[in-house]
Amino acid sequence: MDDLIKLVKTYRVTAGLAERIRLAEEIFGLIGPDLHLFVFSTVPHHAAQDVYQEVLKAVATGLKKFQGDTAKEFWAWCYRIARNKLNDHYRSKAADRMQPMPPEDLWQMMEASAQTAPMSPAIRHDLEYAMKLLTNSKPECYDFLWNHFVFGLDYGDIAEDRNMSYDNVRMKIVRCLEEAKALVS
Amino acid sequence: MAEISPEDRLALHEFSVRYREAYAKSHPLSELHLETIQDAIRGEYEKEQDAKRDVTIEPPSPTPEREPEEPEP
Repeated sequence: MDDLIKLVKTYRVTAGLAERIRLAEEIFGLIGPDLHLFVFSTVPHHAAQDVYQEVLKAVATGLKKFQGDTAKEFWAWCYRIARNKLNDHYRSKAADRMQPMPPEDLWQMMEASAQTAPMSPAIRHDLEYAMKLLTNSKPECYDFLWNHFVFGLDYGDIAEDRNMSYDNVRMKIVRCLEEAKALVS
Repeated sequence: MAEISPEDRLALHEFSVRYREAYAKSHPLSELHLETIQDAIRGEYEKEQDAKRDVTIEPPSPTPEREPEEPEP
């Protein structure tokens, strides 16, 4: 079983405070950076720190009430909380959605990744292609592609967030990817 | 309607895995974030303990209402 869901299940049945805190630190060590990326790639930097704090607080507070059995369900639950907090932020600030990640930031991360896990030329080629797809997508496509391909949200999660049908989200993502491919080639 | 090709999915998946790993290394949880998490856990724990105490402490038995006394003649 996935380490993350093991920790979450253990947390749910743990009574002592010290042990809960220890488990929570391990859980957040695994999910914190992804939630950080999710928030910081969506909200302007000056506001993201507060939203991220709110997300951490809400996930920690609700941890015992999470009822799923798989890591996938747990991730979906965490991202749902994060989206709710982001929506609260948009409502209060009337801010725009998702800020495109500068291509140079993506390259920087890939270079860092290459230092820890060397890349074959084929992998490097694939990564360059993936980055071009993401950075060349139209503004209205950007967060659909990031949410699905980078954060791993499935069509159903995105549909719920956007108040769209599952099929409409699927078609939108296929269309967005096709458009990005046309721009890249 | 066209579907997403396995090659595109694979390239984007490889990017996602590497990007998130590199991001996690450069953005570990800070002390401030750990404190936020600990405070939230502690708050929930205290609420639970309060709720348990409320259940275990039996409510005091209500004082039986006394009949109004007869006015003295």
